Amino acid sequence: MSGYMETFYLIIVLAPLFASLIAGLFGNLVGRHGAHWVTNIGVGISTVLSLLVYKHHIIDGAADYNQSIYVWLTSGGIDFQIGFLIDKLSATMMVVVSFVSWMIHIYTIGYMQNDPGYQRFFSYISLFTFAMLMLVMSNNFLQLFFGWEAVGLVSYLLIGFWYKKESAIFANLKAFLVNRIGDFGFLLGIAAVLMYFDTLDYVEVFKNVEQHADTTITIINGEPWSLMTVICISLFIGAMGKSAQVPLHVWLPDSMEGPTPISALIHAATMVTAGIFMVSRMSPLFELSATALNFILIIGAITALSMGILGLVQNDIKRVVAYSTLSQLGYMTVALGASAYAAAMFHLVTHAFFKALLFLAAGSVIIVMHHEQDMRKMGGLFKYMPITCFTCFIGSLALIGFPGTSGFFSKDIIIEAVHYSSLPASSFAYYSVLLGVFITALYSFRLFFMTFFGKENMSREKWEKLHEAPAVVTTPLLVLAIPSLILGFFLIDPVLSGNYFGSAIYVSSENNALSIIGAEYKGIFSFITHAFLHPPVYLSFAGLFVAWLCYIKFPNLPGMIVGHIGFIYRLLVNKYGFDDFNQVFFAGGVRKIGHLLSHYGDAKLIDGLLVNGSAKSIRIFSSFIRHMQSGYLYHYAFSIIIGLLLLIAIFVHGVFY
Amino acid sequence: MRTDLIILMPEITLLVMTCVVLLVDAFSEDKFRKITYWITQLSLLLTICMVFYYSPDYSYLAFNGAFITDTMSVILKIVICGISIIVFFYSYEYLKESELLKGEYFVLGLFAVLGMMIMSSAYHLLSVYLGIELLSLSLYAMVAMHRKSKYSTEAAIKYFVLGALASGMLLYGISMIYGVTGSLQLTNIADAINNSAIEKIYLVYGMIFIIVGIAFKLGAAPFHMWLPDVYQGAPTSVTLFISSAPKIAAFAITVRVLVDGLFPLIDDWQSILSLLAILSMAIGNIIAIAQENIKRMLAYSTIAHVGYLFLGLIAGTPSGFAGSMFYVISYSLMTIGAFGMIILLGRFDLEAEKIEDFKGLIVRNSWFALIMLFLMFSMAGVPPFLGFWSKWFVIKELVDSGFFVLAVAAVFFSIIGAYYYLRIVKIMCFDKPDTMRAIKASQQMRTVLTINGLLILIIGLSPNTLMNLCLSAF
Amino acid sequence: MVVAIKNPIHAALFLVLSFFSTAAIWLLLNAEFLAIALVLVYVGAVMVLFLFVIMMLDINVATLRQGFARYFPLGIIIAFFMVVAMGLIVSSDYFLSDIYSQGSISTIQSNTKLLGLAIYQDYLYHFEIAGAILLVAIIAAISLCLNKSKITKSTQPDVQVLAKKDDRLRVVKMKSEEKED
Repeated sequence: MSGYMETFYLIIVLAPLFASLIAGLFGNLVGRHGAHWVTNIGVGISTVLSLLVYKHHIIDGAADYNQSIYVWLTSGGIDFQIGFLIDKLSATMMVVVSFVSWMIHIYTIGYMQNDPGYQRFFSYISLFTFAMLMLVMSNNFLQLFFGWEAVGLVSYLLIGFWYKKESAIFANLKAFLVNRIGDFGFLLGIAAVLMYFDTLDYVEVFKNVEQHADTTITIINGEPWSLMTVICISLFIGAMGKSAQVPLHVWLPDSMEGPTPISALIHAATMVTAGIFMVSRMSPLFELSATALNFILIIGAITALSMGILGLVQNDIKRVVAYSTLSQLGYMTVALGASAYAAAMFHLVTHAFFKALLFLAAGSVIIVMHHEQDMRKMGGLFKYMPITCFTCFIGSLALIGFPGTSGFFSKDIIIEAVHYSSLPASSFAYYSVLLGVFITALYSFRLFFMTFFGKENMSREKWEKLHEAPAVVTTPLLVLAIPSLILGFFLIDPVLSGNYFGSAIYVSSENNALSIIGAEYKGIFSFITHAFLHPPVYLSFAGLFVAWLCYIKFPNLPGMIVGHIGFIYRLLVNKYGFDDFNQVFFAGGVRKIGHLLSHYGDAKLIDGLLVNGSAKSIRIFSSFIRHMQSGYLYHYAFSIIIGLLLLIAIFVHGVFY
Repeated sequence: MRTDLIILMPEITLLVMTCVVLLVDAFSEDKFRKITYWITQLSLLLTICMVFYYSPDYSYLAFNGAFITDTMSVILKIVICGISIIVFFYSYEYLKESELLKGEYFVLGLFAVLGMMIMSSAYHLLSVYLGIELLSLSLYAMVAMHRKSKYSTEAAIKYFVLGALASGMLLYGISMIYGVTGSLQLTNIADAINNSAIEKIYLVYGMIFIIVGIAFKLGAAPFHMWLPDVYQGAPTSVTLFISSAPKIAAFAITVRVLVDGLFPLIDDWQSILSLLAILSMAIGNIIAIAQENIKRMLAYSTIAHVGYLFLGLIAGTPSGFAGSMFYVISYSLMTIGAFGMIILLGRFDLEAEKIEDFKGLIVRNSWFALIMLFLMFSMAGVPPFLGFWSKWFVIKELVDSGFFVLAVAAVFFSIIGAYYYLRIVKIMCFDKPDTMRAIKASQQMRTVLTINGLLILIIGLSPNTLMNLCLSAF
Repeated sequence: MVVAIKNPIHAALFLVLSFFSTAAIWLLLNAEFLAIALVLVYVGAVMVLFLFVIMMLDINVATLRQGFARYFPLGIIIAFFMVVAMGLIVSSDYFLSDIYSQGSISTIQSNTKLLGLAIYQDYLYHFEIAGAILLVAIIAAISLCLNKSKITKSTQPDVQVLAKKDDRLRVVKMKSEEKED
């Protein structure tokens, strides 16, 4: 079996690429059916093979595979390669990516049914799958960066998929710009790695990492910085962009302008977790910099709490889920900061399933409501769409960490890990995430209750046409509901015992909070019962209860509360003013600087002097040359002789020396 | 002597096959020109096989050091023949369409290829000269082929007279070198320069004449004047031919003469070439902007490319020479693609000579618009296409050797250059087409052009293979 | 004089003269075979042919001369610079103590034999290439001058012989014109 593995890896990556090319370039030829068949089959193959790879590496425990398959370019003694590093970490990610992607391919058949850009859409999402797989399977920084940029590219393309919609274009641009900032940091990090390690290969870098543990570099005069801290923070800035951490989170809610399947695939399950994955992959580096870990912890904690709170005041169903994604990404980041990489990855996996589920459920509601996304105009859908309601319920339970669901296990060990962490920032993070649990429960059930229960608030003609979504939409929901519910039972054991990821993740002994939890761990059921001794469970119940109170029992209550704390509410609705701040300060400021530059620099200096000036001088020059290029033979011969004479004069007689 | 002849096998094969083509053509009627064409292609293929088969493991000098086979000559010969095959392919389509199909075209073309092969193997100034003459003479005749066209005749006359002038200079330079060193064989020349106390000034004097001669053949400024007129005047098939493989051969002799023969004078020829390179890049790129005729524009772009080609030589290191070799090979690939495109769009009644003829190509045929896009991006040096890497390698070598000013100039001019390439892309993609006439072309034409375009992309994605090949030559 | 003179026939004759002088130089260098060959080939064959061509073409001399005077001064200036530049190099006494002139020319072997050996042994390769170049020149000249168009008249005896009466002659019966009155 292992003999075939190498071929399998290649097929896993290439199948979606080919499917994408066929659907994209020959879209008109293969037609709508052809497009969805070919991409579904392509990603299906990847999924099945990924499962095989998963079995091979994780269940059978095969050795890691690390091989460069192709040297792309050699420059300055450094090889730029394409290669695969398949270990337990990447095998897990491969399954998540290809599986969720496949579900979403199926779902899209129903969701995009009447869209004119059908083939284009399939081509994009397959391309995305390819890029994401390249990212997770990479064995070097260059390929990582390639995948990183490629998923970003597809993400922009898809946010702006409905390119005739003004807001979509705006969101698209915003995502692009914000991600640029992150990518800049990321690139700096990679450059620093290349500079000091002289290689881009993961394994080589990790091998030599100890040598550079105490290296310092000087950035600003006289201030020595630890090299590791600089690299890690640079890389993490990249992760902040891609995984939407405060303050680079602003693009994610707006990205909901894209079609819902994309929100599920890219902006919830896979792409945004690339940052988390990357940090986990780089754990040997991050372990050497306590400063970076503290930084991560703080950023993560702020994101987890503040973004959750924002979810409370949103009325757009997709935006609620988007803010919840932000908050959950915050959780994962917190786990990274606490060196509980395994816990972060664990939460990433479970989150991928239940958040995809929630998004698809929201999408299902949106189709049925004819692209109405305002929750205030919904309600009572329970009767009309039981499957969607049921699966959404499972997703919400998993999200709030209801005991026994997959989200419960992953979230609980994150909180525990933070609790045991010895970093200075950990206590701040601990209380943030605790409070976050309450908020999470509150907003998720607010969404659930507002959408599926209570009074039907939609217009009459819509109300009469309500029905359950088609089977291609509900099937992925049901399939995704299963792992959301039970995945935790299977994974908690290996994750806590520390051998799930094996050598793929490195944690230094003084930071190893997970091992403390692991030491106390005595089996699943005692873990669940044990959880009842800790606040998170009660907090989530409390959140659920409050939601029930506000939106089912006393529907007038929220209005009253808002009336009393109007200022805070306005602050929240304005998203803490991040957008306005950016708009005014960055966008406006930059625009002002831009105007200034364009006026003085461009119009006067470049246009006036250089461009027009050079255009003028080029014209003069041209006419001169044209004069010489007269078409007369003897002019040409003349110029040759003049040229010769000049050369002789300069180089033999040294006229100009 | 026998081994010498065996080493010469590829050239002998080509010569014999050319004579066969000549005879077959002389005794066949106009409607059987197809046969001539196919035998021509066959002879080139056969020559490639021969080059492969007789490629020695080490470099070997034959005929008293007049002829050399080494990795570089083998690679260049294969590339020259390969490029010529594509060129003849496009030409055949073009000639068939414009009813200019004559057997002589192929015969002269094969002779030109022979000349190029001699040039790439020349290790003796006399071989250099004779190779150039064989090539040029064939080209003069090919340019004049379209006798009814006034432009074609005019171009031929200009090319011929100026070419003769340049040949004269080359010959004068050669005689100077011979006069000073007492030898024409390149290793002997190098030895003579190293061993005896010859005053450098005489050598430089001779070398300048030689460089002028070669620069004329390559089309480097200020010896470029013939190029635009000839490119425009000659039938497109001939322009295509002139612009591609002969540059490779000219590159070969430049390397042979300057590096193998006159290496002790490196300081001098570095500065001469720098001057020529800067002039070429400047004149080529700036004047190309003003052109409305695409053939003329490509002529100026050729001048600019020649400037870049020199950059690798100026670097003066083996990897720099390899970079230049990479450059010239990729340049040939791109330029035949571009001319192939012109042939594709042009028809008997209307030659796609004006840049406007590319208007709205994307609407008329999106696939070929994409191929053209590849070609233009590649010429402009946009990654990841081939043209980017070729520029990258030479400029990198330049920087490594410490020629920063030149490198900056190269980058600056390539930015200017990008403008007119991208202008075509803009015209192609955003302007409304004047005509919605579908592009009619034979299936073979489409296939070959597609392969040509994709090659640019594929090699661009994995430049290392070609680069390693080029590196192995030095 | 070849370039400057007005009458092309005179110019050609001056060219003959210059060939003669070249031959004389060869003779002075003990290369009698080359001298004879030069006289025979160039003077005897090429130039005579050339003269015939000029006479047949009957070129209008005056029109060709236009512009000559205009560019003459410039030409002189350039030529002057050229001569100065070259002169500075060539006139320097370097060539007087030449390396190769010291190698004595063998008088034991016949000049012709030496030349033959050089061409067919040392420079065989170049000789062959030169042959190929001449072939190209012939092909080029023929392909450019041979006019295959319909204007060329030639007889085709085989076709003529095979011609039948019916091919050439057709008897047409016509209605006689009706008389109008």
